[in-house]
Amino acid sequence: MTDPLIDLRNITRLYRSDEIETAALHDVSMSVKRGEFVAVMGPSGCGKSTLLNIMGTIDRPTSGAYVFHGPDGQQDLARLSEVKLAQHRARHLGFIFQSFNLVDDLTIFENIELGLLYRSHRHGSRRKAVEAAMDRVGIAHRARHYPHQLSGGQQQRAAIARAIVGEPDLILADEPTGNLDTENGAQVMDILRGLNAAGATIVMVTHSPSHADQASRRIDMLDGQLAASVEQVL
Amino acid sequence: MLRSAFLAFFRSFTRHPLYALLNLLGLSFGVAVFITLSLFYRFETSYENWTPQRSHIYVIGTRVHVPGIPDDLLLLTMGSLLDEIRSAYPQIDGVRDWPFPVTMHRGAQIFSEQAESVDANFLSFFQAPVLRGSASSALSDPSQVVLSAHIARKYFGTIDVVGRPLTLGDESGLKTYTVSAVIADLPKNSDMQLDILRLLTPQHEAIMGGIWNGWGLILLKTYVKFKTPAEAAAFSAQLPAFIDRRAGATFGANVVPHKMLELPLTPLANSHLIRPKLKAAILSLGLVGIVTLALALINYVNLATARAGMRAREVAVRKTLGAPPPALRLQFLIEAVLTLLLAFLVALSMVELSLPLINAAGSLSLTLDYRADAGWLLGALGCVMLAGLVAALYPAFVLSAFKPAQVLASSRTPGGGRTAGWLRTGLAMLQFAAVVVAFILMAGFMLQIRHIETADLGFRRDHLIIVNSVTNPIVTFAQREAFYNAARALPAVRYATAADKIPGPGSGPGGFSKIFRPGQSDNMAQALSVNVSAIGPDYFELMRTRLLAGRRFDAQRGEDQDWNGPDYVKGSVVNVIVSRSAARDMGFVSPRSAIGQMATLGTAPVRIVGVVEDMRLVSPNDPIPPALYVLDSKYGYAMVRYQGVSEAAMREALGRVWRQIVPDVPFDCISVAANLDAYYRPERDRSYLFDIGTGIAALIGCLGLYGMAAFNTGRRVREIGMRKVLGASRGQLVRLLLVQFLRPVFIASLIAWPVGWIVLQRWLGQFNDAIAIPLWIFPAAAAASLLIALATVGGVAFAASSAEPGKALRHE
Repeated sequence: MTDPLIDLRNITRLYRSDEIETAALHDVSMSVKRGEFVAVMGPSGCGKSTLLNIMGTIDRPTSGAYVFHGPDGQQDLARLSEVKLAQHRARHLGFIFQSFNLVDDLTIFENIELGLLYRSHRHGSRRKAVEAAMDRVGIAHRARHYPHQLSGGQQQRAAIARAIVGEPDLILADEPTGNLDTENGAQVMDILRGLNAAGATIVMVTHSPSHADQASRRIDMLDGQLAASVEQVL
Repeated sequence: MLRSAFLAFFRSFTRHPLYALLNLLGLSFGVAVFITLSLFYRFETSYENWTPQRSHIYVIGTRVHVPGIPDDLLLLTMGSLLDEIRSAYPQIDGVRDWPFPVTMHRGAQIFSEQAESVDANFLSFFQAPVLRGSASSALSDPSQVVLSAHIARKYFGTIDVVGRPLTLGDESGLKTYTVSAVIADLPKNSDMQLDILRLLTPQHEAIMGGIWNGWGLILLKTYVKFKTPAEAAAFSAQLPAFIDRRAGATFGANVVPHKMLELPLTPLANSHLIRPKLKAAILSLGLVGIVTLALALINYVNLATARAGMRAREVAVRKTLGAPPPALRLQFLIEAVLTLLLAFLVALSMVELSLPLINAAGSLSLTLDYRADAGWLLGALGCVMLAGLVAALYPAFVLSAFKPAQVLASSRTPGGGRTAGWLRTGLAMLQFAAVVVAFILMAGFMLQIRHIETADLGFRRDHLIIVNSVTNPIVTFAQREAFYNAARALPAVRYATAADKIPGPGSGPGGFSKIFRPGQSDNMAQALSVNVSAIGPDYFELMRTRLLAGRRFDAQRGEDQDWNGPDYVKGSVVNVIVSRSAARDMGFVSPRSAIGQMATLGTAPVRIVGVVEDMRLVSPNDPIPPALYVLDSKYGYAMVRYQGVSEAAMREALGRVWRQIVPDVPFDCISVAANLDAYYRPERDRSYLFDIGTGIAALIGCLGLYGMAAFNTGRRVREIGMRKVLGASRGQLVRLLLVQFLRPVFIASLIAWPVGWIVLQRWLGQFNDAIAIPLWIFPAAAAASLLIALATVGGVAFAASSAEPGKALRHE
């Protein structure tokens, strides 16, 4: 738990509308080490999701550097082109959303397969990887169903399978239990903890203190800045 | 990427059948109209392509510039023109085709046919498709005859008829020929009729006497051949000087012949569309095909962009999972290619299914032959794919440009930004403007066609029959006279008399002669020319033509002597009747003031005894020529006015009388209404095609509007829910949504009005007898399209406003 995976250095993200300029993130610096399970907490509008979007490279910082320590060395992601960022996401990142964001017109199997589609996987090996991911989250029996035929908990497990199917370096989870009842929420947390125990690095935004307590480190945010970072003993 | 595209394409049918069908049907309809009208365009522009020599052959035409005579280009010349050309330019290769009505005698049976008297090299000149016999020797002597395959089958039951005898009758009597060759039937896209060919001999020429080599007269078709267009142009440039040398003083001492007479060369390939109005009509139908395809593609863009909004979440997810924008664009373009291919296939089956109907409605014979037309079909597919891919680029770019973080954070479906919203509204507006223009044109066409079919022509068109058989040259004067008398004796017949011009096509423009009053110039370039009609007694009573001044002909009066009669003394005064416009053009201030006045017709002195109303015997496209009538019942057609019995019964009775008097000539007659219809039919047929095209374009417009309404409403579900929570009634919501959808339709109408007016005005310009555009058709067209739009989007608006607010607010 000593190798750094990502370094955020003096990240600022401004949103400009016609007259108002809002700082969603203000001079944030932090790093995440390989194997860490980081929970990000804070009130609504404090910049948690913006932080996660920037880590996930689906949003760009207005200023600052975002260094990723990959197998090929260090890379400042803030300077990469759209196409390179897309490659980066396909190879190194996995996403889990509060509202699952499964594609309505694809089956569960096909949705999970999406996690491999934009990497150079052969069809046969993709199939094996998808089946393995489904087994890990326990939804193999739902492979041929469409998302709307599944319960919320099942949909989120499918979304997790999609996030992990490519064995990413970093899993980003944006309130993964936000739309779930207590029991399903607990199941999802169990899966995430299991993944972390198996070596996955996870950054999770959550509103739930009890779920945050299950992470190895907890970061509190307020008004676009880091307020506290607490190592937790599990 | 290919797999994702296939999957998305396939799923769109299983998961969103309505959207997929709207999209596919809209495109297929558009492509089907495009293919059909392309077939039509190709058919009309491919005339005479049966001859391999098509690009080298030119038809010599005649255009005469004389006051009072229409200066239309006619693709006919005098009989001896080719001889004149050959003696001046011996190197020029040419042939003539002179159609002749003949009777075909098979045992006791007699049939009417048309035979062509042609030059000996006719078959090799055209490289005609000879099935039996040889092209080089088939017309080497006057006793040979060449038959088309269907004529051979009609009379012999086979095409193996070379060497068989065959008897034809014409005005020089019966003659037996030997069949020397059989040629293939010409396709439908040919204006030539090559059923029976025989050698053009000096005997044929002798029949015509002085008319054979009268400069400016028209008798037969003259074709010449050149290796290159440049050679043809060079020859054409020499023609004015040639006319001046050869025609000499034909048109008067002080007249330059080539100023009066032009002999333009028309490429055989263009000879079908020689009339500029016809060409414009064909072009405009081709344009309807392109516009309909454009509307369908606009529709496709609109629906695809709207649908793209609904797929925004999918795009965002794919992007988050690492899909680069180019890959997404490629995926959407592949989806577009698949949709277009399927639409093309569906369109082909639509065309297959509808061609019989279209052929029937438009009197056409369009066919789709996959083997013969493969190249053309691939071209059409290429056009559709190219246009479709250009159209698909837009949604592909809009889609791939969505920002995933924003899309995933919002519960609202992105519409592609303000630009895309405007573009969609603008395109839908354009579509609807096209629909309103189409409605205006449909209404205008319908009114004009009804007008020409019912307008007062200066005579009563019902209960009139034309007997064509009397024009057969073997019918004698005595037989004609006997037929008139026998017909008049029939109880249902009111009048029966002769006329050398009939309402509708058949008799041609007829003869023109210069006329001048004492003191006026007799120079042909200045004197008025009148259309001279030879008519029998009671003609104006038969036609029910209004007499404006003076009197009608009265056979009992000695002074109304027969122009061609035995008592006519050359140089004596002939009584004539003129039409209203002839009297006006001759300079009389009123019809009454013309009565009793003397004039010179050609060289004969005439006295005007009556003035009658103008009669429109010519096409509604052409002006009515000034007419002069002389009493002469020896030539021309027989016309019969009847009452109290059906047309069929009258024809039957006339036929019985005919067969008693002239047993060796088949009876042939047509009602005036049917003969006039030949003028109206092409216009009506084209307007049918136009109506089919525009009807489908309107349908596509509605599909587009429906798609836009469904999309916009879908995006506003949450807003509608909120409004309901705040107390809005269903009626208020329906109004709100309708106003939003109907505003573009209303603006579209305003754009469409001036466009519709200009196009309709131009179309009506081809008619000499045209309606004034009634103003009501503009608001009516707009109202019709508004109604259609209301019916289309009303359901969507009602459904959206009826949803429970709780459900709407939970909507994502």
